Order: sequence, then C-alpha cells, then structure tokens
Amino acid sequence: MKLRKSYLWVFASAVLLAAGAVTACAQAPTDPQIAGIVQTANQIDINQAKLALKKTSNPQVKEFANQMISDHTSLEKSVNDLAKKLGVTPEDSATSKQLKQQAADETKKLVSLHGKAFDKEYASHEVAFHQTVIDAAKTTLIPNANNAELKSALEGAAPLLQGHLEHAQQLEQSLGAK
Amino acid sequence: MRPPQLQAHIYILAAVAAVLSAVGVRAQDAQPGGTANHIVIIRQVHFNPPQMTVKAGETVEWKNEDIFSHTVTADDGSFDSGLIDPGNSWQRTFKQAGTIGYHCRPHPNMKAALVIQGTNETGAVANVAGRGGTLKWSPPTRPEELHPILVNFTAALLPLALLSDILGRIFRRQSFHHAAWWMVLYAAVITPFTAAAGWWWRLTEGSALPAKLIAVHEWLGSTAVVLFVILAIWRWSIHKRNTLPNWAYLTFALIVVLALVYQGSLGGRMVFGK
Repeated sequence: MKLRKSYLWVFASAVLLAAGAVTACAQAPTDPQIAGIVQTANQIDINQAKLALKKTSNPQVKEFANQMISDHTSLEKSVNDLAKKLGVTPEDSATSKQLKQQAADETKKLVSLHGKAFDKEYASHEVAFHQTVIDAAKTTLIPNANNAELKSALEGAAPLLQGHLEHAQQLEQSLGAK
Repeated sequence: MRPPQLQAHIYILAAVAAVLSAVGVRAQDAQPGGTANHIVIIRQVHFNPPQMTVKAGETVEWKNEDIFSHTVTADDGSFDSGLIDPGNSWQRTFKQAGTIGYHCRPHPNMKAALVIQGTNETGAVANVAGRGGTLKWSPPTRPEELHPILVNFTAALLPLALLSDILGRIFRRQSFHHAAWWMVLYAAVITPFTAAAGWWWRLTEGSALPAKLIAVHEWLGSTAVVLFVILAIWRWSIHKRNTLPNWAYLTFALIVVLALVYQGSLGGRMVFGK
C-alpha cells in the first residue's frame, strides 16, 4: 500500500507535468515562470525537511533533512542571484500552484504521522518529489528556458537533484519503506 | 677553573649540539607542512578528475569549489572526510597500492576513483617516502624502518667474517680467525631479526611491493637465516678445535655471501627501482 501511495504522488505529479507539457504546446512556461517553479520546489523541500527535523528522532533522517535544507538553501540563493542578474522576477504559474497544493496535502499527511511511519513516508515522498522535479527539469523547464544562463543553471542543478534522489532511495531502503 | 681537557670536551659538545640543532631546524623546515602532491576539485556536484593516478606515499587534496557541502568517502569504508563545506579542503596520504573507489555520502551519484601505484609500477618505494623525506630523526618503529637498519648488520658481518678468515690464512694471524668466528656468530644472531622485520613489512604492506621480487626476496631471506645458523655451527666447531677454516668452509661461506649480495640487490631494487 505504501508503495502505491508514494507512487500515487509521482503519478499525480507526472499527470500535472504532462498536462503542463501539453499546455506547453500552446503556452510554454516563460523564464519568470520557470524561476518561480524552481523557487517553489526549493521552498517545498526546505519546509518539509524542517518538519522532518522537528518530528524525527532517526539520525539518518535528520542527516538527510539537514542536507536538504543546506543544499536547497544554497540552490535557492544561486537561483535568486541569477534571477536578479538576469532581471527576471519569479512568477507563479499553474504548475507552481499545483506543486504548492500537493505539498500542502503532503505536509498535512506528514504532520499526522509519527515515529517510523513518519520517517518512511518522508523518505518515500522525497524519492517521489525528486524524481518528479528531475523529470520536470528534463522535459519542461530546460527545453523551454529561453535565457542561455538560466538553461545552463538548470542543467547544472540536475546532478544535484540526481544525488538527492539516490540518497533518498538509500534512506528509503534502509528504513524498509518499500 | 676547569682543566683544559674538560674545557675542550665542553667546546666539542657545544659545537655538536649547535650542529645538531641546526640540522633539526633545517629538517623541520624541510617537512612538507601539509602540501599536497595532487588536487581534486569538487565543482558542480562532480569530482574532477574522476580518476587520478598517484604514487603510494603521496598526498591528495580535495578542494570544494562547489556551493554545496560534500564528503570524500571510500567505497570500502576505509576513510571518510566528513562534510567539507564550500571553500574548504581535505587531505589524505595514501600508502597502500591499489584502486580505491570513493563517493560523496550526501550525493551518492558523485563517484570517482584513485589508482595508487606501488613499487612495481613506479620503481620507487612509497613506504620509504612515507615520512615525507624529512631529515629529523625519530625512533624506528615500523618494519620498513627496522628492516633496512638490521640488514646493515647482516650484510656487513658475514662478508667481513669471510674476509677476516681469508686474511688470517694469508697472513697466518690467529686474531683474524677469532674475529671471523665472532662476526659469524653475531650475524647468525642478528639475521633472524632482520628476516622477521622483513616478513613483518611483507605482511603489513605486501600489496605495495613488487610481487615477483618480494616472492624471491622473502624465501631467499628465510633460507639465509638457516644458512647463517649452519655456518655459525660449522665455524664454532672449527673455533673449538682451534684449527684453521678449510677450503670447504670458505667456499660455503663464499656461496652464502654471494647469495647475500643477490638478496641485497633485490632489496635495493624494491626500494630504489631498477
């Protein structure tokens, strides 16, 4: 069941991004919207890591959450610096709004869980979330970025996200979440 | 007023102390002081270069030029840098030959490898260079320090014993033969320690030593221990009978000396290369 729940998130996100991609044919995300999506994704991961630090007593989960806060804060700073440099003001979009809504639902769920159940759900969600963001970056964000520097920055962030995904998978496995 | 002889001794001691302290200071200056032989740059969630070849005994430095914190963690768990924050670096000296895969713990997709070449590939012993070429004296505690020291006694005593016996026969001087007997005895006593230190080295850092050379060296060394004991017993019987060593003994001793010369050349080849 857990497996299904975690992948339900991926599926929902995939549908969302696919819908975004379909819409993209008519209306591709603009650079300010791309910056907004990246900023939203960063903020979601930082907030959920902060929640994890409050709720977990597992040292591995704490280590992972601390890493997410540290890495995504650095990433957020670099995105903000780049946006400033390019004169781009991050904008909300249907995708970013949908991401926020999904994150709010997930946060509600995480708040209701405790102990090992929380740790497993957090790890599973981190796997799904990073997979979704990687897919989004590959299929929607990078191809639609107009500015070369923004495109390059998005491409540069891919190994970091892949690293987070693999770390989250290791965590999930060690917690026996699957 | 000190006697003139005592005063002269004090001057000599002071001069020796001054020279030693000067050597000590120079030796301190000569220490590497944390400088690395190779640098790996961590940037954009990658180790660059992803594969590096170094010599055993060399130091590698990882510089984190990324905006994220990373670790340098051996795949086999033999070392872990802990988190290296952006702008910081971490160093490690590698003594054992072999290939070590490593990764970043928080970002497991960051993978790289170090190839550490031993003596067989480089022709130079890293173990000897392990102390960074410093001139400062410190008590020998490791097999790679003890073995070369003990080898000096083994290598000197037996050829000199043979030479002493030959000179004794030429000049018909009994004192030469007495000296030869004692030298053979000392050689037989000290050589097992030399071999033991060699085996200790072999067992602790065997992988860093050239396989073919060490295989011959270790067994010839062990055989030499037995030959030295046989030679000592033979020489003792000659000494006890108060006779002169005959040609059979001298020939046998010469063969052992030649084996020792070959053994020494193998050792030298391992330390200094071909």
